[in-house]
Amino acid sequence: MKKIIAIVVAICFVACKPAEKTNNLKFTVVTTTTMITDLVKTIGGDAIEVKGIMGAGVDPHLYKASEGDVSKLTSADLIIYNGLHLEGKLVDVFEKMNQVGKKTIALGDFLAHEQIINSEAFASSHDPHIWFSIQNWKTIATKLTEALIKENPENKLVYQKNGADYLAKLTALETEVKTKIEELPVEKRILVTAHDAFSYFGKEFDFEVVGLQGLSTATEAGVKDVQRISDFIIENKVRAIFVESSVPKRTVEALQASVNSKGHTVVIGGELFSDALGNPSDEMGNYIGMFRYNVNTIVNALK
Amino acid sequence: MTNAQLEIQIILSLVAVACALPGVFLVLRKMALISDAISHSILPGIVLGFFITQDLASPLLIVMATLTGVLTVVLVEYIQKTGLVKEDTAIGLVFPSMFSIGVILIARNAGDVHLDVDAVLLGEVAFAPFDRWMYNGIDMGPKSLWMIGTILTVSISLLILFFKELKVATFDAGLAASLGFTPIGIHYGLMTVSSVTTVGAFDAIGAILVVAFMIVPAASIYLLTNNLKKMLVYSALLGVFASIVGYWIAHFLDASIAGTIATVLGLLFFMVYLFAPDKGYISQWYKIKQQKTEVAMLVFMLHIANHEEEQERNVNHLQEHINWTSQLARKVLRLANQNNMIVIKNDVVSLTPKGAEFTNKAVSYISDNKNAELEGIKQNFFLFRG
Repeated sequence: MKKIIAIVVAICFVACKPAEKTNNLKFTVVTTTTMITDLVKTIGGDAIEVKGIMGAGVDPHLYKASEGDVSKLTSADLIIYNGLHLEGKLVDVFEKMNQVGKKTIALGDFLAHEQIINSEAFASSHDPHIWFSIQNWKTIATKLTEALIKENPENKLVYQKNGADYLAKLTALETEVKTKIEELPVEKRILVTAHDAFSYFGKEFDFEVVGLQGLSTATEAGVKDVQRISDFIIENKVRAIFVESSVPKRTVEALQASVNSKGHTVVIGGELFSDALGNPSDEMGNYIGMFRYNVNTIVNALK
Repeated sequence: MTNAQLEIQIILSLVAVACALPGVFLVLRKMALISDAISHSILPGIVLGFFITQDLASPLLIVMATLTGVLTVVLVEYIQKTGLVKEDTAIGLVFPSMFSIGVILIARNAGDVHLDVDAVLLGEVAFAPFDRWMYNGIDMGPKSLWMIGTILTVSISLLILFFKELKVATFDAGLAASLGFTPIGIHYGLMTVSSVTTVGAFDAIGAILVVAFMIVPAASIYLLTNNLKKMLVYSALLGVFASIVGYWIAHFLDASIAGTIATVLGLLFFMVYLFAPDKGYISQWYKIKQQKTEVAMLVFMLHIANHEEEQERNVNHLQEHINWTSQLARKVLRLANQNNMIVIKNDVVSLTPKGAEFTNKAVSYISDNKNAELEGIKQNFFLFRG
């Protein structure tokens, strides 16, 4: 035991350099997914120091933390996350942080009950992919602006202005996306994807959404699922199915092979961004660009 | 160093000790992979817990996971006890079946719920300091610190109480039975403790590091000592050492804490494997080299003993007669000379009385193949020990 203590103490001495004081007195916000990082950066502008935990292309269910996240979370004035179990066990941690005086906000809590899609079998379980409804995202942006003003009143004007600008942009995006989707007749609006991420999108834009894999990543698509969906595709003459950036392509390719073997041709219409945005430098690295890209990919492939 | 960082290191050290203790016994019993098996086999427990509570965050899910973990080790122990299959096969029989039951339950009943081991159980040590236990509004410290502390206290108490029984049951189950206590009871007890520790540690620090903490320290120290008490103490120390060193490497690299510690443990094992005094690679390699030279010397001595004529015993012609390189010939000659087995006069080699005795014994060993002779040779003439 003495040895252990000696080693601990020795290493502490070596490792303890005086904590680097960041002269940065900016309001610091830690965010989880890339969608949330983008949202907070947009509304906060220069007034907020935003530190995103998850990078592009990361599956939020399976995120592995790095040591730097500890200091990020320690130094945060406010933590903003998606909630509804999107971030797995992290959600429990964030919920409990409120008890020890660290302010956390779950974006899922901003939505009214009827804006959230529930699991069919278990009422207490919700679909966490709330960002695929622009309506929801507008509600969230509005409420988040209010929350930021409450937490950091000094920068009220910045948040108000950026929030209003962003709402206008989201409304423009909504119009643009609706016009684009109008190009598709209602009977062609069938979206077949790798996993159940697009229910909100389907609800808002009248798409019938079919996910090959359930929400959980532990189960894989069953043989029967593939059969059922491939019959469905043939019956409805669906022209394209889609892969997702954060889910393996394999099952979707199996589905394509199954459909093609029955004499109906279905193509893979492209890769959709589901649980994470693209690289920050790309067009798909922000919410609006991602949404536009997804809609264009879907509409062009199904036309 | 912030409080959070200190707490992470304390949690890691406690988990390292809590895993190393049962780990030693698991490695000795050839059941090291049971911790990995448990990480899969607890899925049906979690699923059933969810069906009962309908809440992914309920503690009942962890309780059910622990029970399923115990069920896993009981089944493994039972199958292994039949003697029909080996230890690893018993593990391999149990955990895929249990995992599949969980997968089928999800696919049939809960396809639209995010239900898996990652989401429910597996923790991340980086976030452990933020999950605190509040009692009457007072901050009592991280929850996982309390949980793993309790598990550790219980397992150390059990270890001290049943140390003798554990020792005998692990090394000699037959003797244990004849001494009047049942090794089966001890085995089930040990496996239950291992299972509870594993599930508790999963909740605190995640799966892969728990497997590493269970196996690597015990396996490394096993190369250094066969003494059970020393194995337990040093394995625990090695685990703690790796945790703290790994943590700070992760800090400077901004990398995954669990991943870095597991890597450090792997490197430590590699070092031990290379440099262990007796079972290590370098020491083994050196021993084999020594043996080769010893055998060469024996051949040389037999040659000298068999030849009266000086022509055959001349130093400068030796290598032609026995077909050696001059380098090996010189080495053998030096070794024999150092051990007073031969004398060289006028370039002619003769055996000393000691050399003659050695050769005689060796010849009689070769002809009647009795090990007693060999042991005698080894003890009296073990060349490299003077």
